[in-house]
Amino acid sequence: MESRTVNTTAELEKELGMKESELFSFVEYRPSEAERIGYSEYSYWKSVFRNFFKNKAAVVMMIVFFMIFIFSFIALRIGKYDYQSLRSDTNLCFILPNSEYWFGTDNLGRDYWCQVWFATQTSIKLAAIVAAGECLVGVTLGCIWGYVRKADRFFTELYNIINSVPTMIYMTLIALMIGQSFWVMCASIILFHWLYMAKNVRNLVFMYRDREYNLASRCLGTKIGRILTRNILPYLISVIILRVALSIPSTIALETTLSYLGLGLDVNTPSLGILLRNSRAYFLDYPYLLIFPAIIVSLVTITFYLAGNAFSDAADPRNHV
Amino acid sequence: MEAIKKDPILSARDVEIQFSLRGDKLTAIRGCSLDLYDGETLAIVGESGSGKSVFTKSFLGMLDQNGSVTGGSIMYHGNDLAKYTTEKEWRTIRGKKIAMVMQDPMTSLNPLKKVGLQIQEAIELHQGLGKAEAKQEAIRMLDVVGIPNPQVRYNQYPHEFSGGMRQRAVIAIAVACHPEILICDEPTTALDVTIQAQILDLIRKLQKNLGMTIIYITHDLGVVANVADRVAVMYAGQIVEIGTCDEVFYDPRHPYSWALLSALPQLGIKGEKLPTIDGTPPNLFNKIVGDAFAPRNRKALAIDFKKEPPFFDVSPTHKAKTWYLDPRAPKVEQPESIQRLSQRMNVDYGSSLVHPHQDPNREAVIEVKDLQVTFGTGRKKFVAVDHVNFEIYRGETFALVGESGSGKTTIGRAITRINPTTAGDIFYKGRKINGKISKQLDLEVIKGCQMIFQDPLASLNERAKVDYIVSEGIINHHLYKDEADREEKVQKALNEVGLLPEFASRFPHEFSGGQRQRIGIARALIMQPEFIVADEPISALDVSIRAQVLNLLNDLKKSRGLTYLFIAHDLSVVRFISDRIAVIHKGRIVELAEAEELFRHPLHPYTKSLLSAVPNPDPAIEKHKKLIVYDPGMHDYSVDKPEWCELLPEHFVYGNAKELDGYRKELELN
Repeated sequence: MESRTVNTTAELEKELGMKESELFSFVEYRPSEAERIGYSEYSYWKSVFRNFFKNKAAVVMMIVFFMIFIFSFIALRIGKYDYQSLRSDTNLCFILPNSEYWFGTDNLGRDYWCQVWFATQTSIKLAAIVAAGECLVGVTLGCIWGYVRKADRFFTELYNIINSVPTMIYMTLIALMIGQSFWVMCASIILFHWLYMAKNVRNLVFMYRDREYNLASRCLGTKIGRILTRNILPYLISVIILRVALSIPSTIALETTLSYLGLGLDVNTPSLGILLRNSRAYFLDYPYLLIFPAIIVSLVTITFYLAGNAFSDAADPRNHV
Repeated sequence: MEAIKKDPILSARDVEIQFSLRGDKLTAIRGCSLDLYDGETLAIVGESGSGKSVFTKSFLGMLDQNGSVTGGSIMYHGNDLAKYTTEKEWRTIRGKKIAMVMQDPMTSLNPLKKVGLQIQEAIELHQGLGKAEAKQEAIRMLDVVGIPNPQVRYNQYPHEFSGGMRQRAVIAIAVACHPEILICDEPTTALDVTIQAQILDLIRKLQKNLGMTIIYITHDLGVVANVADRVAVMYAGQIVEIGTCDEVFYDPRHPYSWALLSALPQLGIKGEKLPTIDGTPPNLFNKIVGDAFAPRNRKALAIDFKKEPPFFDVSPTHKAKTWYLDPRAPKVEQPESIQRLSQRMNVDYGSSLVHPHQDPNREAVIEVKDLQVTFGTGRKKFVAVDHVNFEIYRGETFALVGESGSGKTTIGRAITRINPTTAGDIFYKGRKINGKISKQLDLEVIKGCQMIFQDPLASLNERAKVDYIVSEGIINHHLYKDEADREEKVQKALNEVGLLPEFASRFPHEFSGGQRQRIGIARALIMQPEFIVADEPISALDVSIRAQVLNLLNDLKKSRGLTYLFIAHDLSVVRFISDRIAVIHKGRIVELAEAEELFRHPLHPYTKSLLSAVPNPDPAIEKHKKLIVYDPGMHDYSVDKPEWCELLPEHFVYGNAKELDGYRKELELN
C-alpha cells in the first residue's frame, strides 16, 4: 500500500483557507459534540405508516371501503323508499332496475336499493362490534394466559376443547336454543372467536415475558397489570391491529354463511347474508338480486384482507429498509 | 516480517461500499485499501459498525442484498472481484479460493443435517470427488480439526455437538477445500474463554499445515495479540493504522489506536480512572469531513475537522492515517498506558489498596448460605446452583466469574428474587429474603437491592420514554411528593450517570449501547440502593464504551458507598474492578480469594485453566503462553468427599483432603 503524496503547506493553506499555524493547532475539546454524533432518527410507527402507504392497492381499497360505508347512509336518504315502510306487493315483484327502483325489486315486490344499503350497514355494524368484542376479550385473557404461568394449563385445555369442535355446530346449537337476533349473533361469534386472538396474544406475551427489560421491571417491584400495559402491550399493537383487520372479513363471511343456511340473523333484519340467501332461488332468472349484495361482500372482504396483509408487512421491523 | 517482501495475493484499492437503507445511502466503507501477503495472519480490529465485517465480505460477494461495491478494485490473481456480479462468477472464488468462518456456530450449521454430511457436501461440490471418497475426506477433516471419534461424530447432528465442537465443524467445512484465504469473522466471540483459546490454537495449527492466509476480524485486542502477524485498525469505514503486531501494540500512532488500547481495563491501574473515549462512532449516513475520529479526540487539530489525513509511513511496514505524523504538526505524546505497555512494565494492580473485607468491623450486606437452585422436576431436573456460600461486605465489589451455564446469573437473579431458590438461605443485612417474606421487607429489598443487566438493547423497554423507564421504580411505590419532585429525581439520576437532562423525553432506540447501559444504571440508582447486582454489564459493549461504564460504576461506588456483585466471564476485566473474586464452575464455587491473591496463587485447576486462557493484550506474553486444559474428570470424589476449606485467610478452595494437601504444598513452594 503506497502512501499518498503529502500536500505542501502552500496548497493546504489555499485549499482550506487557514494559516499553517492555525491548521496544526489543537482545538478545544467539546464532550457534547462527541455524545451527539451517534444519534439516530428512526421511528417505528413512522416507518410502519410510510411502508403501508407505499402499498397502493391496499390504500385504494381502504378508500373505496370508506366511500361505500359513507355512501350507504347517503343512499338510504336519497332512495325513494324507506326500509321501515316497505310493503310486499306481488304485482311489483321482479322489476328490473329502472329509474323508480334503482336496484329493482325482490320476489315480494319490495324496493331492493334500500334493502341492499341497509344490509350493508347491518353487516358492517356486526363486523365492527364483533371485532371490538374479540379484541377486548381476546387481548385481556390472552395477556393473562401468557403471563400467569399457572393459568396456562387451564386456557390451553379450554382452547383445545372449544377448538376441536367445528364452530358451525356451536352456532347451530345457539341459533336453535337461544334464538336468532343481531345481538345473539354478536355474542355467539365473540364467544368462540376471542380464542384465536387470545392464542395469538398469548404466544407473543410468552415471548416478551422474560426479556431483560421485564426482569428489570420485576426487580423494581412493578405490578403485573403495569408490566402488561406498559411493557408488553405496546409491542403487540401491530399484531392486534392485523388480527382485528382480518376478523372483519371473516365475520362478514361467517354471517353470510350462517344466514345462507338459515341460522344467522332473523329474516326481518336484512344483512348481506340474508339478501344472498333470499336471492338463492331466483338468481338464475334475476341475477341482479345476487350481484348487488355479492359485489359489496367481495369489496369489503378483499379490502380488509389486502389492508391487513399490507399492514402486517409494514409492521415487520425486518421490512424497515 | 518475511511475508512483506512477497507480492500481495489480494490487494484492495480504495474500496467504497454503500448500502441503501430506509431510502438513504449509507457509506459503510469509505475508500479502504489493503494488501494481503501469502501465508500471513492479518487481524482487523475495530468497534461494531466500523465496517470490518462488510469490508471482508466484499471479497466473497457476500454483501447483503441492499449493499454493493461502488468504487475501487479488489485484485485477486489478476481478476477484479469488485466487478463480479453474478453468482456463477462468485462460485469460482467463494469456498474454493476464499472461505469464511462466521461468528455463531449455531446459525452456520444446518440443524437438520448430519454434521459429516454437511462437510461431505462442501467437498463434493468444490473438489468433485465421488461419494465414498468425499466421505473418507470428510472424516479425515473432522480428525484434522481435532474432533475425537470422527467416525462416530460423522453421523451426529449439530445439537449433539458442544459450542466449541460446532465451531470446529464449521472450520472443517471452511477448510475442506483448501482455500488460499480463510476469513474468520469473530470466530470465538460466542464461545467461552477456555474454548476460545483452543479454537485459536486450532486455527494457527491449520494455517501452518495447510499454508493458508488468514484474515482475522475481531474486537478483542487480546485475541489480536495472540494470533496476528499484522494488525489493521479500522474506524468509521476506513483503515486508520496498519503495521506489524508489535508495531501497532507497542508503538501505535493514530489517536484512535491509543484510545482503544488505553481504554482496556487490563491496562488500567486499580483504583484509578480508565481513560475513556467519549461519545460513539459517527453516523455513516452523514458525509464525514476530515478525520472521522476528530470529534472524540481530546487533542484534535484544526486541520482534522477540515481535511482527511493521508497515510504517513512510520516504518516500511507501519502506516497511520493521522495529521499527527505530518512534520508540521505539534508533537503529541503517546498516552501513559501505551508507554507502559511498550516498556513492558508490570502494571501495578493496586496491591496497596485497602479492601472493605479487611476491615475488622466489616458488615455483610448479603450472605448466601448453602444456596441451591434447580430447574425442572423429575428426570428433567437440572441443578443450576449447588451449595454455594459467600458473604458480600459493605463497600466491596465482589466478582463472580464463570463460563456460560455455570450458574452465575442464576445466583444474581436469586438474590434479586427473580428466580426462586430450592434450598438454602439468602440474608440481606441479616434478614432472610428468599421464600415468602412480608410486604414491608419486600419493599425494603426492592429499594435496597437493584440490578444492572447485560444487554443494553434488550434491557430497556423500546416503547417507553426514558423519563418513564428511569422513574418506573419510584412510580411503583410512589416514592415522590409530586410530579415536579419526580421529574427532579429523574434529572438527578440522569445527571449522575452523565446523560443530558433533555434525554428524558426521548425513546431508547435513539441512543447508543453505552448511553443505553447508563440509562439502565440510572433506573437502578433512582431507588437509592445499597447493593447492586451487575450482571455482565460490559460484555455486550464495545471496548471504547466499556471504560465509560466501568468508570461510572467505580465512581458511584465511591460517591454512594455502593456494594456490587459483579458477574462476568472475563477474568481480566474483573481484576481491574473487584476486591474479591469467586470462580464458579457448573453451579459450584471452586475458589474464592482476594483479586490479587487469586491471580498470584491460583489453586484450583479450573482457576488455573481460566487464567491461562484469558487473552492478554500484549503480544509478547500472548504469543508464548501455555494453555492449561481443565478436565473435571480429574477429581475423584467417590470416597474422599470434597469440602469448602479456607486454606489461607480469606482464600477458600473446594476440594477433598488429598487435593487440599496438594494445594498447601503448592503454597509453601511459592
